Amino acid sequence: MGKGQYIAKRLIQLVITFLIILTILFFLFRLALPDPTAALVMDGLSAEEQAMVRERFGLDRPLVEQYFIYLRNFMQGEFGLSFHYKSAVFPILMEKLFNTLALMLPAIFISYLIGPLLGVLLSWKRGSNTEFAGIIGGLTLRSAPVFWTGMIFIMIFGIRMGILPTSGMRTLPYEATSNLDKIMTLDYLRHLILPMFTIAIYYLGLPMLIMRNTMLEIMGEDFIELCQAKGLSERKIMYKHVARNALLPVVTQAAITIGLAVGGQVVVEVVFSWPGLGREMIQAVRTSDFPMAQSAFMMMAGLVLVMNTVADLLYGYLDPRVVLKGGDK
Amino acid sequence: MAKERKGLKERIKYFKPMLMNIIEPFKIIVKDPLGRIGAVILSIIILIAIFAPVLATHNPNLMNERIEGSIIPFDEDGNWSSYQIIGERPLNEVAVGQEYELAVADHGFIYEREVDGDWIEYELGQEVNFLAAAVYQDFKLVGGENGLILFQNEAGNWEQLETPTDDNINDLYVFSADSAYAIGDNGIILSWDGQDWSQIDSGTQRHLREISFISSDDGIIVGDRGTIIHYRDGEFQEPAFRSFTDATFRDLLAVSYYNENQAIAVGERATIMVYDGEEWYTDDSGASRSLNGVIHISEDEVYAIGLRGTILRYDGENWETIDRITRRDYRGITYSHNRGYIYGVEPYVNELAAPSGDHFFGTTHLGRDIWSQVMYGTRTALMVGIIAALVVNLIGATVGMIAGYYRGNIDNALMRIVDIMYGLPLEPFAIILVLIFEPSLWIIIMAIGLLTWRTNARIIRSQVLSLVERPFIKAARVAGASDLRIMLIHITPNILPLAFLQLAVAMGYAITAEATLSFLGLGPPQIYSWGTILHSARLSGAWRTAWWWVIPPGIFISVTVVSVFLISRSLEVLTNPRLRGGRDNAPEPEEPKNVLPNEQ
Repeated sequence: MGKGQYIAKRLIQLVITFLIILTILFFLFRLALPDPTAALVMDGLSAEEQAMVRERFGLDRPLVEQYFIYLRNFMQGEFGLSFHYKSAVFPILMEKLFNTLALMLPAIFISYLIGPLLGVLLSWKRGSNTEFAGIIGGLTLRSAPVFWTGMIFIMIFGIRMGILPTSGMRTLPYEATSNLDKIMTLDYLRHLILPMFTIAIYYLGLPMLIMRNTMLEIMGEDFIELCQAKGLSERKIMYKHVARNALLPVVTQAAITIGLAVGGQVVVEVVFSWPGLGREMIQAVRTSDFPMAQSAFMMMAGLVLVMNTVADLLYGYLDPRVVLKGGDK
Repeated sequence: MAKERKGLKERIKYFKPMLMNIIEPFKIIVKDPLGRIGAVILSIIILIAIFAPVLATHNPNLMNERIEGSIIPFDEDGNWSSYQIIGERPLNEVAVGQEYELAVADHGFIYEREVDGDWIEYELGQEVNFLAAAVYQDFKLVGGENGLILFQNEAGNWEQLETPTDDNINDLYVFSADSAYAIGDNGIILSWDGQDWSQIDSGTQRHLREISFISSDDGIIVGDRGTIIHYRDGEFQEPAFRSFTDATFRDLLAVSYYNENQAIAVGERATIMVYDGEEWYTDDSGASRSLNGVIHISEDEVYAIGLRGTILRYDGENWETIDRITRRDYRGITYSHNRGYIYGVEPYVNELAAPSGDHFFGTTHLGRDIWSQVMYGTRTALMVGIIAALVVNLIGATVGMIAGYYRGNIDNALMRIVDIMYGLPLEPFAIILVLIFEPSLWIIIMAIGLLTWRTNARIIRSQVLSLVERPFIKAARVAGASDLRIMLIHITPNILPLAFLQLAVAMGYAITAEATLSFLGLGPPQIYSWGTILHSARLSGAWRTAWWWVIPPGIFISVTVVSVFLISRSLEVLTNPRLRGGRDNAPEPEEPKNVLPNEQ
């Protein structure tokens, strides 16, 4: 099987996995809420709106039929009507997703820029006190709960020193006609600093430790000995030969991290009142806004799956030693 | 007999490798300096969890109270100032004179000042509580328990006066240096003639609480069980037209006699009795707590105060509740020479106190001891961490072993399930579970257990895949051992060290996950965990300044997770033997593996 076939196979796997997750989610929610109309009534929609919702989502039909309507709606990008906002879920979620990415991407970028460099340093200093301190430091960064570091940052920089805003994405009220408009300001950058560093510090440890471990592994390989025999300087070997090869797992981990970050840093958005996907989901849970919570979760799960697949493909693409095959033994 | 012993030996033979493999990880941990640090820290945390009830200095649910003597000044226009703390003791009475002000408190404390001056504190012994105070110009009297009455001599010292009673003196009223009255428990009424105290027969045995005069021969005394006594022209008389209702049999604690046609008495359970010159009748203010003091400011302005910050205003017709200035308990109110005070603050909730010797980590906005909460939180964290890690390992190892052993379609199917699991982000999944079920620790454990076994399964599977190819497994198979036997007796011992590593990794994640979910308010509210402590700190809004509420739980989480990570890191040599030595003497690995602890 060739590369193309492998990719095709991974993509089909991705779709099937996602369908299974959708199915699990559907039945999980029906288990919790056998009659979604009851929730709609409670939420005070008018009789016409109720009838409309009921028809659109086929809530009066048998469960199996509902399931297929649910799938069809999903394919058509019809995510449902938010109980809370009383409007379509999808546009709201897209905006929240953008906000989340506007926070997560810069943070991950910073941590994956600095982390590997520190990892190289650690592996170079193997056995020294620097490495000792570095490992403990790295593990501590990963151990400190990210919401807690966020709170400490707010206390220090937001309250005590009062130099940085601590909540939201922009100073209210503001006007922005598009998403790009929203982030192309200094105000956004000021709001970004604290949550971004909170997340970056948390994510820093993983690429650092991965980099160090892979570096150590590669240093044991034969071609490094060859380099030493050739008389190359230590620095050159480290950066040009070892580090370059060791970057591979870091890159794939970066892809996985991006997928996870969208759903995984709910707490940071809560602490900094960042109007992102995770915070929206928490609010949806609090207000029992089932369609919103369900769709937000689907979006997060979808992103994780896509980024995991990307990581897999990236690995195969970057590492010439990996032979992509269709999965048959 | 011999046969049985052989059977036992046989069994020991099987268990020995298993035991060795259980001990091996501990050896590795102890050998690694970082692993040692982790093991020591974790042991301390475990000890804290075991001895949490001993280490906790307070009941974590208890609202800790604090006692302070403070006054809230007000003027004739009804302008309230903010409270002033006079001392550490609850004030029992404040007396206002033309030049001097006097306050008395429990445990023999007297505070005195010139008007607008600083308070001078006198400590006259620990045993006796002072209950009453009165000032006329520079004649100052203090009454207390056991019939104690003191006056201040010219030197400024307090001198005891002889009294014919051992009962508590509850109130004093001074007309001049030669004329004063004292009332107390068991119907005691004393009169002062400038030289001696003499007892007057009151005709009652009930405790008398307060006395109020409009002139030297017209006064009212109130006391327990609805006692009201008019003192007129040297005679005591019970009011003739008193209406006997339930309310009139409650203890009356204070009275204010303004003029012949106006007097008000208040008492427990918000009892109010109004005198219109002929008759006493009960009135209802809508308040429910005990009223401890009442005072007339003018004909149509009366204040009554009581427990939990109750302040009532009466305009001659209606009672109106005034917004509470504090939630403290008031013991009395006084007004004279255009100066008024609410005083005698009883215990109040010690909220948001900074760390001190009594509260190591300070208190919450409800006056709860944070140190004790953190101690109990250790239990929750470890319990969730250990149970979740066991669940994760059990599922992960079983799935991994079955997949690796049988391979083929079973392996494929199981690994697809693992793929699905990788598509479910942990926190959002737990949030969904909480939306569907009730928040509880088991939901958190379930969420962690259901999702994070995926990494374990993959790692164990790869280990089993290589084990199956080893000669001893093949030999066992040729010898006709069943699949179950091979898996349990030959494979399990060999994956135990790895499982142990994964146990440590999973525990670290579980503790963080529990803290995170609890912080989001998805944990059970009645159980203390480090996450819920931070959650309530955030919910109260006080966390922005109350650093002592935020820092300790976070440090405990970090330190615990770091210790577990250090342990799991020292165990990494199990999966990657190359890490065993230094850079120069890295031994050749038996079989190359690429097992990175995966981000959950």
